[in-house]
Amino acid sequence: MYFVLTALRAGPLHGHAISKSIKELSAGRVQPSVGTLYGILERLNERGVIIVDREETVNGRNRRYFRITDEGQALVEAEARRMQEAASLVLRPSST
Amino acid sequence: MTAVPQGGTLERRYRALLRAYPRAYRTAHGDELLDVLLESADPGRTVPVPREAWGLLAGGVRSRIVHLATGNPWKDGLHLGVTALAAAQVAALLPYAGALPLWTAASALALVAVLRGWMWAAIPLTLVVGMKAVAIAGGQQIFDLTMLPVYPSHLGDRALFADSDPYVVAGGYAVALAGLGVLAARGRPLRVRSWWWCAAVVAAAWSGPQWMAEESTFPLSLSRMAVEAAAFVLATAGGYLARDYRWALGAGIYLAVASGDLAAHSAELTRQHLAYWAVLAVLALGAAGAPFRQRRHCLH
Repeated sequence: MYFVLTALRAGPLHGHAISKSIKELSAGRVQPSVGTLYGILERLNERGVIIVDREETVNGRNRRYFRITDEGQALVEAEARRMQEAASLVLRPSST
Repeated sequence: MTAVPQGGTLERRYRALLRAYPRAYRTAHGDELLDVLLESADPGRTVPVPREAWGLLAGGVRSRIVHLATGNPWKDGLHLGVTALAAAQVAALLPYAGALPLWTAASALALVAVLRGWMWAAIPLTLVVGMKAVAIAGGQQIFDLTMLPVYPSHLGDRALFADSDPYVVAGGYAVALAGLGVLAARGRPLRVRSWWWCAAVVAAAWSGPQWMAEESTFPLSLSRMAVEAAAFVLATAGGYLARDYRWALGAGIYLAVASGDLAAHSAELTRQHLAYWAVLAVLALGAAGAPFRQRRHCLH
């Protein structure tokens, strides 16, 4: 979910673009299946963390573009700070 | 953008996997998922990637469960409990269909009425079948002349209600009727339930492989236990995934009636009976507690 929200900070994206962005952001470590990705998108949408920005029809198929909300933006930034603080406990220079 | 091939083997196979999702979701978003699946696929690929196939199946089941958790949970939970009782009542009569064709058919019709949400049709059917069942369990005659004891023609090996207390049989039908009455009084349309309940009836009716001592005076069918345990596991999974207590309510109603049957045989219970009850009770408690589990952080 963290990577989904991080991907959407760049602007509204559709499912395939989110999937590609997650792969790039995580250097290939995170590659959710389409079923898993859409499960995450539906849950984030239900919680108001993302919303559907617009819908387009491509190749005769509907395509939803998702956008991060202010609440989602605040959430992902708070999570990034929490991880940074946790990482600093291990990675800060030794005082000895 | 990659050109998405239309109507190929891979598309057909992904479409088949998408059937794991509820129809409403498929109609609204099935093509969108298919679009992403095909865009992500390697050129020339005809077999779905196993990771994607598993993701679709797991996502579909989860989506189905979440879609079921809509509407009034109390009413739907009561309907679930009544459906389970109606299915168990047909399962009890099914092995004796040869001797009691009319009553078995009436019980099956009552189940169909419950599945379709036709409470006003289910009430009289359940009432007359219940009266007949209690009469047979008590060795009485009502409505028509029945040769007692009633022996099975298939699926079972013991006489009908040979091990059942008439009060317990009456209690099961009374709970079902009370539930039907409440649902009928509420008046609003009920969810149409799956025909899979009919498959559960056949499995529960079978006396199953021998697993209890032959001298046991209150044998439990292994197949019936398997069906009940599977249904209770689904109830727990439903409560966990959807954070909804409707499945716990249905399981609780069924467990209360099943416990009454065990309590009536308290002097004859073995460790196997107690283990059976404990499994159902633990699963029912799991279903009751799962909706109230602590909500994890939104991003985890």
